[in-house]
Amino acid sequence: MTGSNTARPRSPNIRNYRPQLTSVLSIVNRITGVALSLGAIVLVAGLAAAALGPQMYEPLRRTLISPLGKLTLLFMTFAVFLHLCGGIRHLIWDLGIGFELRSIYVSGWIIVVVSGLLTIATWTAAIVLGAHS
Amino acid sequence: MDTFEVDLDDCGPMVLDALIWIKSKVDSTLTFRRSCREGVCGSCAMTIDGTNWLACTRFIKETNSRASIYPLANLHVIKDLVPDLTHVLAQYAAIEPWLKAPAPPPERERVQSIEDRKQLDGYYECILCFCCTSGCPSHWWNGERFLGPATLLQAWRWLADSRDEATGDRLDALEDPFRLYRCHTILNCTRTCPKGLNPGKAIAEIKKLIAARGR
Amino acid sequence: MSSPPLRSPGARARGLGSARRGSEAWLAERISAVALIPLTLWLVISLVMLHGGAYTDFVGWIRKPASSLLMVLSLVALFHHTALGLEVIIEDYVHSAAKLPVLVGCRFLCVTLCTTGLLAILMLDTKATP
Repeated sequence: MTGSNTARPRSPNIRNYRPQLTSVLSIVNRITGVALSLGAIVLVAGLAAAALGPQMYEPLRRTLISPLGKLTLLFMTFAVFLHLCGGIRHLIWDLGIGFELRSIYVSGWIIVVVSGLLTIATWTAAIVLGAHS
Repeated sequence: MDTFEVDLDDCGPMVLDALIWIKSKVDSTLTFRRSCREGVCGSCAMTIDGTNWLACTRFIKETNSRASIYPLANLHVIKDLVPDLTHVLAQYAAIEPWLKAPAPPPERERVQSIEDRKQLDGYYECILCFCCTSGCPSHWWNGERFLGPATLLQAWRWLADSRDEATGDRLDALEDPFRLYRCHTILNCTRTCPKGLNPGKAIAEIKKLIAARGR
Repeated sequence: MSSPPLRSPGARARGLGSARRGSEAWLAERISAVALIPLTLWLVISLVMLHGGAYTDFVGWIRKPASSLLMVLSLVALFHHTALGLEVIIEDYVHSAAKLPVLVGCRFLCVTLCTTGLLAILMLDTKATP
């Protein structure tokens, strides 16, 4: 048996295992984290562009407020709140709280709903402010 | 992949009953592990309709009408539904799952208060079916070195035992970026445990203890 | 597929033994996360208030001492958290000899990006811009 089982096939894992709230929210937290890492690059680019003067800053600003830019920012906003709320859920688990199966599911759905609401609130505020300026 | 039709009027209510029916009436070569048929031995753990459970405690009526039955996920398959548990059992043995109390044994039993004994509840009941470890994506990708929820839950069982004197050594052995910290609290383990246990919580307790001893 | 070395299951499970470390990175990821809760909210609110404002608006805002301070803290916490998080991801999925170079490269990138941001704030605050 020792060492000889690499000739044997493995039973399927990700292709056969059913996606569940647990695994889906976990991978979403990871994906949003990576997306926010890319967002961090844009943040630094914005600061650097500003430091280099208006002729560097203006193209970046126009890209961000273009329709495609705004769509990206909308997804990034949702990503920020999903990762923020998901992160808080993780911090609570790290304290040892909230591991009952029911709590896992309730908290999971809460962060999805709250993230959606916060995204809508943020963009409503931005649109209202934009309309008044 | 084989497809079998089972006469449910002729068969017991559990998925294991269906497997036994198939073996007895259709294909006698169908191979699977089973023993207690009441959810206490852990032999018949398999992936049913995409999640891990014991075949003997899963009602047929709770499965899809075309139920998919696979060997326990991500393990080398010996035959049909029989997984090779060598590696996961070796990982379990590696945490030294026995009482370590080298001081001369007391004349009678090692005393333990009722409160202390309660700390083992939810952990000692594990039947080592490996449903949790098999369903853990982190163990899929890093199972060579990541111990997985079943082994880590048992590690916590011994850390939580007030009679054990090797707590520090046990924590030393666990504090490793792969052995312990490949756990990212995905929680498929708690979701799938057919005994209702909570490996995710046990692992969180281990991490808390390690963090606490550094400060 | 090369055949594995003929080791016992126990040897395979024990591997090279425990590294006896790992809690520092785990804790640092969480401490930076806690710092990022208020800082991220501040960032989002600030960016909404700026809502694509012109150059002079942005510069005027960053030159406020509170904005500069919070932006510096945000960058430090953000890139520390990002570096730790990305390193965990790389360790999870990269198992070949590429793992170490990729880990080091990721850390270098995060340090460089963070420093770029800090330097930009310094230039903006001291009006050392072109």
